[in-house]
Order: sequence, then structure tokens, then C-alpha cells
Amino acid sequence: MQAIAATPAVPALVAPALVAEQTLQAQAPPARPAGPLAAGKRDAVGEPVPHFFTASQLAALHRLCELLMPPMGGNPGAVEAGVPEFLDFHVGQSPTDRQQMYKGGLDLLNARATKQFGKAFAALDAKQADSVIRPLLVLVPWQFELPKEPGARFMTAAHDDIRVATRNSREWTQAAIAAGRRPVGAQLYFAPVDPIYRG
Amino acid sequence: MAKQEFDVLIVGSGLSGGIAAQVLTQKGISCLMLDAGPEVNLATNRTTKNPWELPYRGLNKPGRLPHVVQANEFNANQWVDEKEVPYTHDPASPYNWVRVRFVGGRSLFWGRQSFRMSDWEFKSADKEGVGENWPVSHADLDPFYSRVEGIFRVSGRKEGKPHFPDGNFLDADYGPDSATVKKITEVAQARGILVSKIRASNGRNGQASSVNLLLPDAVATGKLQIVPNAIVREITVDKKTGLANGANFVDRHSRQELHVKARVVVMAAGSLESTRIMLNSGTPGAGLANSSGLLGRYVMDQFYGVQVVASVPEARGGKAAEGMMGGTALLPRFQNLKKGENRKFSKGYGMLIASGGAALPGFFTEYGEALQQKLDLHSGACMTASIYGERLARYENHVRINKDVKDAWGIPVLHAEVKDSPNEYNMAKDAADTAEDMLKAAGWDILSKTDKFHPPGYSIHEVGSCRMGDDPKKSVLNKWNQSHDVKNLFVVDGGCFVSCGWQNSSLTIMALAMRASEYLAEQMRVGAV
Ligand SMILES: Cc1cc2nc3c(=O)[nH]c(=O)nc-3n(C[C@H](O)[C@H](O)[C@H](O)COP(=O)(O)OP(=O)(O)OC[C@H]3O[C@@H](n4cnc5c(N)ncnc54)[C@H](O)[C@@H]3O)c2cc1C
Repeated sequence: MQAIAATPAVPALVAPALVAEQTLQAQAPPARPAGPLAAGKRDAVGEPVPHFFTASQLAALHRLCELLMPPMGGNPGAVEAGVPEFLDFHVGQSPTDRQQMYKGGLDLLNARATKQFGKAFAALDAKQADSVIRPLLVLVPWQFELPKEPGARFMTAAHDDIRVATRNSREWTQAAIAAGRRPVGAQLYFAPVDPIYRG
Repeated sequence: MAKQEFDVLIVGSGLSGGIAAQVLTQKGISCLMLDAGPEVNLATNRTTKNPWELPYRGLNKPGRLPHVVQANEFNANQWVDEKEVPYTHDPASPYNWVRVRFVGGRSLFWGRQSFRMSDWEFKSADKEGVGENWPVSHADLDPFYSRVEGIFRVSGRKEGKPHFPDGNFLDADYGPDSATVKKITEVAQARGILVSKIRASNGRNGQASSVNLLLPDAVATGKLQIVPNAIVREITVDKKTGLANGANFVDRHSRQELHVKARVVVMAAGSLESTRIMLNSGTPGAGLANSSGLLGRYVMDQFYGVQVVASVPEARGGKAAEGMMGGTALLPRFQNLKKGENRKFSKGYGMLIASGGAALPGFFTEYGEALQQKLDLHSGACMTASIYGERLARYENHVRINKDVKDAWGIPVLHAEVKDSPNEYNMAKDAADTAEDMLKAAGWDILSKTDKFHPPGYSIHEVGSCRMGDDPKKSVLNKWNQSHDVKNLFVVDGGCFVSCGWQNSSLTIMALAMRASEYLAEQMRVGAV
């Protein structure tokens, strides 16, 4: 106690510090925003870089997206919603059976296109492509089990994925808002609780 | 330092554990409740998000939760992580075990459909000559059902039919039926089928869980302590008396091993989980309270998935008149209510017919604009019939310990061996044909019909594996949910079921848990336990 009270340097420091404080307040920076500082969204700033499918598979997927889910009723189509690139990412992270199903299915589209029309699936016009797609479309009354036959299996899964990924896209929501419609798809997200282990 | 000895240890804080805690603490009995999971605040833990704000656009992380068909990227964190607490099955016979580990258990998320079971389930051997009678009847459970219905504020329409027993319902105004619900009602009634309404727990403030309706009362008595993140490994036994004397548990975070002492143990970890703990206790290889050898046997749940969808011509293209579409009709089980109906299956199914749904893309072999036109045409014009089918109780359908696989805390996991039998397949076929026949008779066009259904476990109503009965050789528990072998061990979750019925199980689980807990309190009062 004694030692602190006797320290002469302390009162001398007070005055200049106060002056500095006032000067700082005079040129106060803007208030800190209420939300988080790092509020940017990855897909609002970056373009996805596909790396899983081969170039010819990706081209076939692109064409398939255009045909299965084109822009309709003021909504973006699958290509506008970035679905080919999204599926490259999503399938690329999937268990191998899903990867094989997709790769095999896209290769099949190219093989049938080459056999029937002598060119890749991506280069087919809508009528030609229809004759490749249609034999692979089957009724699916029970949506929880994919058909056994590999071509139909791929087409059923891809059709569903393409539709869902399009409707779930940022572009779909933006189009709805722009057209004055109520955007669909928002849900309650349940955050992780106190996680301890991720195998 | 000697720690406190509790009167009763309750393992699990879901609907069954919550009922036990409420009854026992109100009788002045000191209880400790251990739950494997953390406490969660639903109000702050859930926020509305767009699918594209999630890493996988709402499609979920590939390969996560392969057995939880109900999982999506929004709710993925609700479910038990299958890598953290695995279970095994033969790849050829999948079992979908859908689990929740939080304080409150599955009651945080349940669908709240609340049906009583009837004597066509409790006494099926008498009524139908099939299966085995439970050691309790609807009359035994009636007062407990009524009290649970009061707590959960169940609404329902009274029908005065013993195979669909009425309860202590809130006055609910169902409003006038839509024209399509009226039509299907006429069609069903012409076939002698009762048509009713869904019965559901309203709860309070939008929640009907153990956490808001049961545990607060129990904690308020000052007689209940709830310890979260406490994973019970095994029930411990006094070597001299053979009675349960507490439990070993492991801290979820630190993995420290601890022991707690109790005079009575009440298991409420959710049917198969309680069975797992009991199989991991007592005699290695045999488990605890298993002189019958039936612990783990007779695993059941309802089979779901059979579906028939029809389109109402006058409602297509958005042209439905006011009051034409909307609402539901519930057809409680209407098969084998009389002896000698001579069907290709025993027991039966209930059916729910919902008006105003949409068609799915898989109902058509179209794509692009052509598909969209079909979907738009039938949007809101569909009638969807789905069923709740009873899986029979079969000895072969069982869970056992898989010594070779352990969970994240080193606890041996379950192996599930549960298969469907011709009875389920025949029942599913009959259900699909019957739904098609009725929807057609109403003048509607069938868009899709399937008699396929999900693997066992999917309905999240798994019951059995620790069944009750009067004969200790043929059952694990007596009619008070008390172990035949270990008198101070009670199992109050769905493990005790003798058959699963077509009805969602929670209301019956709670009525039985309440009855068992009152019996236990009385036995403790007179010093018998
Ligand atoms: C999405 C969904 C919809 C449903 N819809 C309906 C419906 O409409 N109608 C109906 O009747 N039923 C429905 N159910 C089923 C219903 O939720 C259950 O029947 C009921 O909640 C079971 O209660 P319980 O207390 O037996 O088990 P649980 O709720 O599973 O509680 C068990 C508790 O034990 C804890 N536990 C597990 N292992 C251990 C351990 N080793 N040590 C300590 N604690 C442990 C868990 O953390 C959990 O909190 C639904 C379920 C879900 C998930």
C-alpha cells in the first residue's frame, strides 16, 4: 500500500491519457455492427470448382440438368441454380456406391448417345436426348427404394437430386422473392448440442 | 466420502422416465435420474434457415445417418450419431433404429399421435385366437390412460367403440369435414368400417414433452435430481441378495467411470436401450433378470410405408371448390375384429386418409415441362392413404449383445436380427388393395399404389424385448413391470409390450409406467421392495 501511494509517476501519467481519450472520441469510428463480423457466404463469393466427374461426365450431367429441370414459371432451371457443380461436390463426397451409380449412369448416357447418334450426350438436341432418357425413366411408386436396373436406378436418383437441389438453391429463393412469391424451403435448423465426438 | 444413497435410480428422462419421476417424487420418494444426453433448449437451439445456407443444400452430408430415413440436413443433429453409438445387423436384413439422446429423449420431437390400445391387442388370444394375451387388460389401464390423457391434453373424437377406446379428451372442434373426407367416410361406412379422427397430445405452449409436462413437477418436489451426460453402463447387483444396488455410469465428456447407489432401479432408457443395459449387466453372456432367456426377444414395431394416392378429378388444376379438399379420416384397425374372418393374415392395420396432398415425380414417366404440368395439375387434388400395420411378436426377432463392437464409451453394442414374415407381407398387400378399392369407389383416379414398406424400426415405435407376463418362464417382467427375478428392478419403457398393435405406442407406455410406478411406491411404503 505504502509503496503504491508513494509512486510519483502515477499522477503524472493521468493527464496526457485523458487528453488522448478525448481526441479519440472526437474522431470516433463507426459503431461495431450488431451481427457477426464475418457474415459473408462462401457461395455468394466463390464459384465451385468441379473436380470429381470427368469432363465428359460433367458435360453429360449439364445437358441432363438442362433437360430434366429447365427454367419454368419464372423459376431458375437446374443449370442456373448451379446444380451440376453442386452434384459434382455432393456425389464426390458420397459413399462409393453412389459415386459408381452416377459415373456409370453418365457414361451410359454418353455411350447410348454415341451409339445412336455418333456424338456425346451433351451434343444431342432435345429430341435425340429424349430417346436416350425415356427408356431409363420408370414409375417409382415407392420412393424409398431405387430401381434395381442400373440405368433406371441412376436416372431415378439423378432426377430427384436435380429437382431437389434446384428448389433448394439460393437462386430459386431469389427468383421467388423477386416475383413477389413466398419463398419455400426454409425450415427450423437444429444446431449441434454440446458435441463431444465425431467419428 | 460415502455418497448419498437414493431411494430410486431412474435411467432415462423421456416420457417413461418422466412419468416414473413424477409419480414417485409426488409420493415423497427420493429419485436420481441419469440421462445419457445433455439438456437442450429447443427455443434457442433451433433457428429458421434456408436450405442453401446449409453446407449440403439441405440434402444432408452424404452417408451420415444411413439408418435414419427421417433425417435431413435440418434435423441431422437431433439423432444419435450412428458412429458414436453404433449397432449392427446383417446387411441382408436391415434394422432402422432411430434414437435421441437428450434430457427429454424422443418426447422433444415426437409426432404426438396418442391412441389407446384395446382388448383386441391386450387379449388377442381370447379375441382372435392369435398371439398371447397381455397380463393386463384395457380395464386395468383405463384409469391410468385417463390421467395421462389429462396431463398431455389429448384431443380426440369419441366413438363409443371398444376396439378404439375413447379417452379423457379435451373438447376439440374438428369443424365440418371437407367434401372429399365426407365421401371417403361414406365409402368406408358402407363397408362397415369405423371412420374417426386422429387423436393427439396438445401439450402446452406447443410442446408435449417430458421436459415441459412431467419433469418440472418432479423437480419442484425437491425429491428429484437429474444428471445429464451420464451414460449407464450396467446395473450393479448385490452378490449376497441378488438385488440391484445401483449402477455404473460413465461421464459423456470426461469418460470418468462412476458408481451410484440406489435401493431400487427403474429402467426407462427406451425399449432396446434398457434391454442393452440389462444384457450388459449381471451374469456375463446371460445378462441380468434373464432366467427366462427371453431378454431381447420379441422385438416389434409397426410397419409403415404402404401407400395409395388418388387424384380427385373435380379438384385438379387448382379448381377445387371451397370446402372440397383438406382434413383427414382415420380408420382404426377394422380387420379380424370378429373371429373367423378368414383373412390371409392375423391382427391388422389402421389407415389414415389425408385430403389435399400432391403427386410425386415418381408417379409419372415424364420430365421437364411435361412433368411440371402433371405435378401442377394434381397439386392439392390428391387423396393419400397410408397405413399403420402391426408386426407380429415373434421369438426369432431379437436383439443381442455384439461383444466385438463397442460404442464411443466402450460399451458393447446391440446386434439386431428382426425380419418380416408372410403375415406382414399379406397384410400390406391387403391394405394396398383395400385402399385402392375404396379410393376408386369414391370416384377418384389412382395415381400410385405400393404395398412396400420400410424395414423394421422405421416407425420409431420399437417395443418388446423385455416382455411382461404372469409366467416367469415365458416373460421377463410381471404385470407391474417388475422383474420376475430381481424384485427391485422395474422396466417402465416399451420393452414390456407383448404385442405392438397398430397404434403408436407412447400413450400405452405412459399408462403402464404410471401404473407400475404407483405399485412400486406402494411396495416401498409397505417395505416389500
Ligand atoms: C420423430 C418422432 C415421431 C414420433 N411420433 C410418435 C407419435 O406420433 N406417437 C407416439 O405414440 N409415439 C411417437 N414417437 C415415439 C415416441 O417418441 C416414443 O415412443 C417415446 O418417446 C418413448 O419414450 P421413452 O421414455 O420410452 O424413451 P426415449 O424417449 O427414447 O427416452 C430414453 C432416454 O434414455 C436415455 N438413455 C439411453 N441410453 C441411456 C444410457 N445408457 N444411460 C442413461 N440414459 C440413457 C436417452 O438419452 C433418452 O433420453 C415418435 C418418435 C419420434 C422420434
